[in-house]
Amino acid sequence: MPDKQTYAEVFQSRGLSRRDFLKFCSLTSVSLGLAPSLLPKVVHAMETKPRTPVIWLHGLECTCCTESFIRSSHPIAADVIMNMISLDYDDTLSAAAGHQLEEVRRKIMKEYKGQYILAVEGNVPTKDDGVYCMVGGDSFLNVVKETAADAAAVIAWGACASFGCVQNAKPNPTGAQPIDKIIKDKPIVKVPGCPPIAEVMTGVITHVHTFGKLPELDRMGRPKAFYSTRIHDKCYRRAFYDAGMFVRGFDEESTRKGWCLYKMGCKGPTTYNSCSKIQWNEGTSFPIGSGHPCIGCSEPNFWDNGPFYTRLADVSFLGTDTTADKIGMVAVGAAAAGAAAHAAVTAVKKTQHDKESEK
Amino acid sequence: MGRIIEEIYVWRLPVRLYHWINAFSIVALMITGLYIASPVINPPLGEAVWQHNFVMWRYVHYCVAFVFIGNFLYRMYYALLSDDKYAKFAGFRPWSPGWWGKPFREQVESYLFLRQDEPNYVAHNPVAALANFIFIFCGSTFMILTGLAMYAENRPGSFLDAAFGWILPLFGSSYNLHYAHHIVAWVFPFYVIMHLYAVFRHDIVDRTSVTSSIITGYKHKVEDEAAA
Repeated sequence: MPDKQTYAEVFQSRGLSRRDFLKFCSLTSVSLGLAPSLLPKVVHAMETKPRTPVIWLHGLECTCCTESFIRSSHPIAADVIMNMISLDYDDTLSAAAGHQLEEVRRKIMKEYKGQYILAVEGNVPTKDDGVYCMVGGDSFLNVVKETAADAAAVIAWGACASFGCVQNAKPNPTGAQPIDKIIKDKPIVKVPGCPPIAEVMTGVITHVHTFGKLPELDRMGRPKAFYSTRIHDKCYRRAFYDAGMFVRGFDEESTRKGWCLYKMGCKGPTTYNSCSKIQWNEGTSFPIGSGHPCIGCSEPNFWDNGPFYTRLADVSFLGTDTTADKIGMVAVGAAAAGAAAHAAVTAVKKTQHDKESEK
Repeated sequence: MGRIIEEIYVWRLPVRLYHWINAFSIVALMITGLYIASPVINPPLGEAVWQHNFVMWRYVHYCVAFVFIGNFLYRMYYALLSDDKYAKFAGFRPWSPGWWGKPFREQVESYLFLRQDEPNYVAHNPVAALANFIFIFCGSTFMILTGLAMYAENRPGSFLDAAFGWILPLFGSSYNLHYAHHIVAWVFPFYVIMHLYAVFRHDIVDRTSVTSSIITGYKHKVEDEAAA
């Protein structure tokens, strides 16, 4: 395997001028939201840093993260894979397969010990020694642990790897666990979403490549640049929310007018993601833009906060499905009934007592 | 009826003010809170840009919430730093096994009709003190902290976010935080019913004018009927 080329070398080998290279650097720094003063730093990084080796593992998942990733437009996925990173192992995208591919993974782990990035898509079933997800003849649990041991950092792609997603929704039959429950001693970037937005995925990689370190993370381990505000905060239907103009049914006039979907169970007010800002498919649309309430796919346990079309989740309480309001009203009703009963007994006792003292 | 033999000034003005501000804030917060969770009024007509219906409900909820918080802190300050012996929670010592002993047991027995006589207390009896601690102190603290954490979500990176944002991950997600705030809100109507019942009952059974005492401040000791 040849030594990893730098960005500048890749440009050179393809016959592109230095001018093009510098243009590209400026564009990258603009798309990362950097000050012009940082441009020399970007140029320097692109000239001197070899491409970052990445091992991309697939566990218990649906590959929607990869599907999203390959549709990235700024930068396009081909640029990321060919130029920025050196995607050495990805069983979905590689040409190689089987023993040949596993060989590559071991080689990278040895040659770039402590330098490569481990990207994990999907989560890890832990029940029964992880037999519910086998990759290359070994359990995914072992593969992840083995590959993470010498990684510089871990990127957790999607809701699965970040928080668990549908696999670890109740009752979680395979004991599926997100990556941070398996790997404890490595820095982990969580990029939640089902799938995450393509530009968010490539944005994270670009950041790691350019600066050689992980982006700034919030309290939940997500990159602040993309997950610091809620869908709701930048939603174009926010004016209808503030006005109290809510869609009350999908077959109403209000739906056609594009009013707020809050009452249709929209989880936008509790979901941290960039959909309302970056949008999907080269900025074409996003769920709310297409008239559907946000289901909160980038939030932990979003499958358990259902149903999707009500504000208040059904919770399991004493073996029944109920809501917070029902529990509350039953408790208040019980208090009122208890008070009434207690009052009745007090009255009876008092009458008895009065009669006794009259005697 | 027994004669009034003693007037005791139990609830001083700061305590009475606290009580009523607290009562009105809780009612306002409960109503606006339930409305925010489920806006039932029909949507207004016209352009959204001229309407502020829903935002007003939220605004009132936040304003009253800050009154509620200020009032709560003021009551804590008054308890700790005043010389008002009835306002200091001095008798409330649930960490000591002695507190759960005879007086508490007697009061519970009295409520369960296991004894004839009512133990007499000038301020709160032990059972009432415990209920106040659980519902008003713990309930309010929980609602204030979760409320501020949600309020901080509107302002990422702000002082409020730094001060209360750490609460959100404790609940797992923003949704769970909202849910917890919603469900715990129900302890307040629950408590209000128990509270009103207990007050009216004590007023009738003990005739200590406990109901009017939260307006006038005075409780009465009446002559025992049996002795009359």
